[in-house]
Amino acid sequence: MLDCLASGQSARAREMILHASAIANVAVTDVVVGARSVVVIHGAADGESIRDILRDVSFQEQLSYPSDSREVTEIAVRYDGDDLDSVAKQCGLTTGEVVALHTAADFVVEFCGFAPGFAYLTGLPAALVLPRRTTPRARVSAGSVAIAAHYSAVYPRESPGGWHLLGTTTHELWDINRRPPATLQPGMRVRFVELA
Amino acid sequence: MTLLIERVGLTTVQDHGRSGWAHLGVSHSGAADRTSFQLANRLVGNPPQAAVLETAGGLAVRATADTFVVLTGSECDAELDDRVIPHCQPTVMRTGSLLRVSNVRRGVFTYLGVAGGIQGPALLGSRSHDTLGNIVPLPLIAGGELRIGTTYGNPLGVDAPMMPRDTDRVGITTGPHGDILHLDDRERILHHVWTVSAEPNRVGVRLVGPTLQHQFTDDMHSFPLVRGAVQLTPANELVVMVADHPTTGGYPVVGVVPPSDVDRLAQARIGARVTWEWKSI
Repeated sequence: MLDCLASGQSARAREMILHASAIANVAVTDVVVGARSVVVIHGAADGESIRDILRDVSFQEQLSYPSDSREVTEIAVRYDGDDLDSVAKQCGLTTGEVVALHTAADFVVEFCGFAPGFAYLTGLPAALVLPRRTTPRARVSAGSVAIAAHYSAVYPRESPGGWHLLGTTTHELWDINRRPPATLQPGMRVRFVELA
Repeated sequence: MTLLIERVGLTTVQDHGRSGWAHLGVSHSGAADRTSFQLANRLVGNPPQAAVLETAGGLAVRATADTFVVLTGSECDAELDDRVIPHCQPTVMRTGSLLRVSNVRRGVFTYLGVAGGIQGPALLGSRSHDTLGNIVPLPLIAGGELRIGTTYGNPLGVDAPMMPRDTDRVGITTGPHGDILHLDDRERILHHVWTVSAEPNRVGVRLVGPTLQHQFTDDMHSFPLVRGAVQLTPANELVVMVADHPTTGGYPVVGVVPPSDVDRLAQARIGARVTWEWKSI
């Protein structure tokens, strides 16, 4: 386990751990990425080698490489979400201002979770930070663009959900037969673009 | 050959699970009780990762050719046509015969291993049905069929004593957030009997016990989860992650259960009583 990383560093740490373990010829089952930490799943005999690798990685300066050096994935959104009005009201903004803030923000995939391909995007402007809905919806359709707490996300498939829905995209976020199956992976930069 | 599915019941196809995709939110999945899964494959001469059927009951399958089958894991009623078949013993299943598994008891999951293993397309490297991520490489439907691989000769048979696999004592080591527990909390966890409080599932085993003193912080960063991670919820429950657990979670991970103990805990029924045994790493 590697802890106390800054936002956006976990993805880079994962890459470096995979790289270092390949060089050291140590088999790694999985490197799970969290918001501020990574956890390595490995065979029982490799504990010491993995601890060495984690120690090396934690000292590497590359962990804090500038995030703006990477390509930006653009997601086209129709801002027609069921919660757009209520979000505007709760934030004391017009719906136009909500859309302007959401499309102006520079998001980074901090980690994935909740469902396959569900990416937690950091970079939400403070003016849009709201707690999750008090009553989650039993059904949120695939492609719903949403916000909650300090995050934005796109529901990759239909699922229950408690986030505020701002709009929809036709961008395919999950295809299990594609490699990698998820469009949004930890460390990627993302921007939302309003569809006219 | 194929297995014809006559009744699905509470059954899924499971193998060793999928690894390498947790960073995209894909759980490891695979057999909930790995010990019993591996034993099923050993007993019918399969490679250790071959796919089997994991059932909580209500399963009926018919063989289209002579084959060896075996049942491991939870006790159950198993009948091959009208004959009761024993647990953990490879049994010949003749062409056209019907195998029924019902009344799964004392545990949650029974494993049906078939010599040659269940074949068919895998998704992300596994044939396992992930119930949380809804990844279903081989959907089971009544009237459908499962292709079974080729075998070479008869299973050799292995010495497989039916060990008592109680869930009453389960090991736990300190988790990454173990320090949020109040000094007396560890003692409270260890000196009380905890009770499994949720219906059996493949995601997490929920336990209720004594009231703890710890203070919850609400600025907890989502943390990577692994099988065996023990989350402490604001409702004062301990939830142990099993096969289809989410890959990240927002509650503190106060403990970790060793893998073989997770196998036993995954078989715990609602109402089962559990005592924790603290282990140092």
